[in-house]
Amino acid sequence: MILDSLLPILIVVALALLVVGAARRISLWRAGQPAEVNIVGGLMAIPRRYLVDLHHVVERDKYMSNTHVATGGGFVLSLALIILVHLFGFESKILAWALLAATALMFTGAVFVYKRRQDPPSRLSKGPWMRLPKSLLVFATTFFIVTLPAAGILPEAFGGWVLAIILLAGIVYGLGEMLFGMTWGGPMKHAFAGALHLAFHRRSERFGGGRSTGLKPVDLNADTLGVEKPTDFKWNQLLGFDACVQCGRCEAMCPAFAAGQPLNPKKLIQDMVVGLAGGSDAKYAGSPYPGRDVGNANGGPTMTITDGLVDPETLWSCTTCRACVEECPMMIEHVDAIVDMRRFLTMEKGNTPNKGAETLENLIATDNPNGFDPGSRMNWAADQNLSTMADVQETDVLFWVSDGAFDMRSQRILRAFVKLMKAAKVDFAVLGDEERDSGDVARRLGDDATFQSLAKRNIEVLNKYKFKRIVTTDPHAFHCLKNEYKDFGGDYEVLHHTTFINELVKEGTLKLDQFKGGTVTYHDPCYLGRYNGEYDSPRELLAALGIELAEMERSGFRSRCCGGGGGAPITDIPGERRIADMRIEDAKETGAELVAVGCQQCTAMLEGVVEPRPEVKDIAEIVAETLVEEVH
Amino acid sequence: MPHNVKVVSLVSIGQHPKSGRARRGEQDGRAVELGLKLAGESLQMVHAGDDSEEALRSYLGMGLKGMTVLKQPTTGDAIPALAEYLSDNRPDIVLTGVRAESGEASGMTPFMLAEKLGWPLVTRIADIGKIENGEAEILQALPRGQRRAIKVRLPFVASVDLAADAARQSAFGPARRATIDGADAANVEDSVRTSWEEAPARKRPKRLKVVKAKTAADRFKAATAKSSGDGGKVLKKESAQEKAKAVFDLLVEEGVLR
Amino acid sequence: MSANDYDGVIRRDPRTEWIARNRLHPQHADVVAPAAETRGPSGLIRKNPHAVGFIGPNGLKRIDRLAGNGPQAGGARRGAKAAAEVELPLVTVDNPDFYIVAVMDLVGGRLSGHDKDVLGQAHKLVKDTEGEGAVVAVVFGESKEEAYDKAGVDRLIHIEGEAYEGYSPEQRVAALQAVDAMLEPRYWLFPDSINGGNELGSRLAAKLGERPATQAWQVDVANAVCRGGSERTDITRETPRLLLLAEECADPIDETRHAAQPIVLEAIPSAIVRIEDKGQVAVDPNQIPLGEAEFILSAGNGIHDWDQFHMAAEVLGATEGASRVAVDDGFMPRFRQVGATGTWVTARVYIAVGISGAVQHLQGIGQCDKVIAINTDVGCDMIKRADLSVIGDSQEILDELMKLVEQHRQGGAENAA
Repeated sequence: MILDSLLPILIVVALALLVVGAARRISLWRAGQPAEVNIVGGLMAIPRRYLVDLHHVVERDKYMSNTHVATGGGFVLSLALIILVHLFGFESKILAWALLAATALMFTGAVFVYKRRQDPPSRLSKGPWMRLPKSLLVFATTFFIVTLPAAGILPEAFGGWVLAIILLAGIVYGLGEMLFGMTWGGPMKHAFAGALHLAFHRRSERFGGGRSTGLKPVDLNADTLGVEKPTDFKWNQLLGFDACVQCGRCEAMCPAFAAGQPLNPKKLIQDMVVGLAGGSDAKYAGSPYPGRDVGNANGGPTMTITDGLVDPETLWSCTTCRACVEECPMMIEHVDAIVDMRRFLTMEKGNTPNKGAETLENLIATDNPNGFDPGSRMNWAADQNLSTMADVQETDVLFWVSDGAFDMRSQRILRAFVKLMKAAKVDFAVLGDEERDSGDVARRLGDDATFQSLAKRNIEVLNKYKFKRIVTTDPHAFHCLKNEYKDFGGDYEVLHHTTFINELVKEGTLKLDQFKGGTVTYHDPCYLGRYNGEYDSPRELLAALGIELAEMERSGFRSRCCGGGGGAPITDIPGERRIADMRIEDAKETGAELVAVGCQQCTAMLEGVVEPRPEVKDIAEIVAETLVEEVH
Repeated sequence: MPHNVKVVSLVSIGQHPKSGRARRGEQDGRAVELGLKLAGESLQMVHAGDDSEEALRSYLGMGLKGMTVLKQPTTGDAIPALAEYLSDNRPDIVLTGVRAESGEASGMTPFMLAEKLGWPLVTRIADIGKIENGEAEILQALPRGQRRAIKVRLPFVASVDLAADAARQSAFGPARRATIDGADAANVEDSVRTSWEEAPARKRPKRLKVVKAKTAADRFKAATAKSSGDGGKVLKKESAQEKAKAVFDLLVEEGVLR
Repeated sequence: MSANDYDGVIRRDPRTEWIARNRLHPQHADVVAPAAETRGPSGLIRKNPHAVGFIGPNGLKRIDRLAGNGPQAGGARRGAKAAAEVELPLVTVDNPDFYIVAVMDLVGGRLSGHDKDVLGQAHKLVKDTEGEGAVVAVVFGESKEEAYDKAGVDRLIHIEGEAYEGYSPEQRVAALQAVDAMLEPRYWLFPDSINGGNELGSRLAAKLGERPATQAWQVDVANAVCRGGSERTDITRETPRLLLLAEECADPIDETRHAAQPIVLEAIPSAIVRIEDKGQVAVDPNQIPLGEAEFILSAGNGIHDWDQFHMAAEVLGATEGASRVAVDDGFMPRFRQVGATGTWVTARVYIAVGISGAVQHLQGIGQCDKVIAINTDVGCDMIKRADLSVIGDSQEILDELMKLVEQHRQGGAENAA
């Protein structure tokens, strides 16, 4: 029978094409910059990373996680068995039965995929992805039928030549989609690239429950600073882009997308794929960047990305809130890519939009983003009688004041926190005029040169003194000091003030009254929550005041950004709505009269919303109000 | 569109007014920006002073491949060196800032150069438009955003006002890669300056409204009387016409209606 | 002796005294009310402690200790007489030993405050120098000033003519060189201003080979203190012959009159003019950078008819501004935002329509001369800041205002025709 003789050939051909395609795809990735990876260790780690770490993210969508286990698991199993049974011709009933079971499992999964695709949510890409469930069904069905004789259920020569041709067509189509498509750019590419992406992920610390959120430093002596063309990315970043399944979870979470700013993380990653492979985005079948038409973007591996592939406004719309990264089931690093491209725009092109250039100039000339006299950093505390490190040299707690020192609203937060520390008799001191901006804004705006200069000088100052730990009220500074100064020799124990106050309350050094007031909700700052995993301390602290939080629908790791991160208020890319307005809407839905916040930037953004709106207060302020002051 | 003219932009080391740190000068940066608009890549950027000064890089970050520094000690007088350079190079247009941001900041450099070279000088320009038949059309900045059109023959010296287009952002990469050409130049000591005393600026007292009163009672009244600007007039119940009239009268009185 | 010399004498006004005595007189209360002291029926002096003093601006009672012999009943009439204008003493310099020449900006044909400060400085230098000196003011072009004498001008050189009109620095410097040759002034003084003083002074300095003191703010015959770059340093130096003086360098003359005797220059050589003035360019008010604009119409949350607002700005000839909220809501572009987080403005007149006045906004308009608020809320902070506030519907008021301005324009055109 023809099928018997053709089948192994077809499989061999498909596998050969798979290998050729794989080699070609790998060469596309390898056009990127070198990055050190542990090849063997990485490959060995794939199963664990897939089954544990990745599954942990995927499982947020139970339907899809089960479906994927069935389909993906079924497919991998089937493929292995197909090779054994149909290519090598192992005559084993057990193997054949196993293959039947595997294809049946895959079929079941594919049915659910199919059902999901009946009325897909807008975040899912259409196009070839609409074909995939059918391909899965055809693959599973044909191989099921083809395997029946081997399992002894049907005679060798069952059916006629019509069935044989139908089956042949099915096999060609199934193998084409599943094997040829896997390495030649079909939807199944995600399986191949995804597996390798897990193996060679740039932030292997993220697996096994770890956390890696600090940006990687730029080598300032490189020929091009930042990413100009796709090949300027590290090769494993390019690999990561290819892993995208276009599920659109990032799109659903992106605050800029929701605000109608021209950013869609999914589209961005797809544009990167267009860039690394060359071509146009005409085949992209998902939601566009808001307000921009699809089909006009062209790129190639060595073409400048911002000339025709991605509009710089797209890159500047990002608030670096990491909601996309947190949500991505393929653990793609969108923020890294965006900042890499911003670095090129800022450090090579000198093209930071709106107030960006001014802010960076100020940071260079005055060490603060608004150009205030660096000698007036302590003016806010003229009445606070704080000791400076220069005076005491040694202390338990170094209070990192941050640039809130220059802002009258933030000064209220600082004062509240100082009041609490004094009440708890904490031995603390500040750097005073020796402190500089942490470099957060400079870094997110792509000016790593200025960030590094600030970081190095800050570290030099910090290393002069003895202290046990640093506490700050600014999550952005917190993140920089804790995660990003390590690359420059600054390794400190850094706490956010909510964590620290919570400790004090638990120890019993702070006596607090009960909170008197209406409903309270809590807004998780991105740089505290998603960047540093601190979701509990603020909540415990509020609970200690007797507050029962009315949680917003998007809270915790899914908290929606206030719009103030990543220099977004500085670059100020127009959208249809403002992110802060949307966040206040979220808060209003809970009926809260007070939004508790743990970040001065969030406070500023949320208070910038036109009244009537709930009041906005930093947790330090709320706690300070309930402080029971001892009378001597 | 770059014109076919030879442009030299003179730059100095700026100073941030709050921190006092060296930086790109606000006006000098604009002189470079205007120079780039007129001459593109062929713009020559010249500084007289120390060629190892890092702040010069912030001018180079605007996109030029290199610049010339006429080496001078800190006590040197830059004018002879610059005049010599300019008369050797004979550019069509020399652009400078209006005033330096550090040191004496007398703003005399363009005047002295124009005098030495015998070229016309146009002060406080906002833009240079057409350059035709050896004549340039210049837009001069006047107070309050007003502009005056001026025609002047090449070659000339012009000082660039803050009303000109702001300097583009300085990019770190190109700034680091560009070259600074240190050239030996005429070296004349600024001997007048050596006898000067420099001190941090004292706060100037705000002039009080001095009341020339003949009697103590009048002086007392002047000191205690309610100041006239405190609390404005509020019109509430009047008709819209009357309210509009009040606003209108104030506009006429202030002379802002043209 | 003039009548003024009797001012110190206490005069009695029998009629007021009579009214004060007559408690039934209808004007009795007016006359008596402020009296803190009255002679009682027994002849004893009675003090009324409640009537002493007056309420000061901060709500505290102020007591004028002069009340006893000061403005009693009838005093008002003497006060009225004292307010009559006093003729200031005339100071004349007939044969000056030296001259100090001050070149005036003459903004809009009149001496500016800065000009008067410079003249004040000139007299200070005269006083400190041995011999008798005369202050010579040089003015160019059309002059509308009538009070040269009171500003301290001993001699006036008024140079007029076609060659000096508009932007004519080359010819003006030639004239100044002629003045230099003729008078050989001890000092040349210029206002260090953007109204021409700085430019003329610098040009003349370059021509004469003088090294001027610039931004000089404390000058005597020995030393001049000058502001250095970015206003961060003070440079103390020997006083040179040519000075560019900062504003408020000295107090203007206000106690004397001077002759303002004209000096006529002999033929002034005409300079080679290579700079051609093509006249002032009409600038669209909306093209003027917000920070420089002198007349701003600014919109806030309270504006509902944006077309009308834009029209009003056009009719008034004002530069448009906006509050943060108006910008955030997308009604105005970001570069129009006024305030600490937007642009700091310095307008002479700032009209805030429907802006309640957030702190940042008020900070940004801190340097505006006259602020007009059009708002519906009397309690808002903008009204507290404003020099004139009109409460009501902005749409209606802007409409009426536009009508008035249009009438005004037409009227002006008719008058011109």
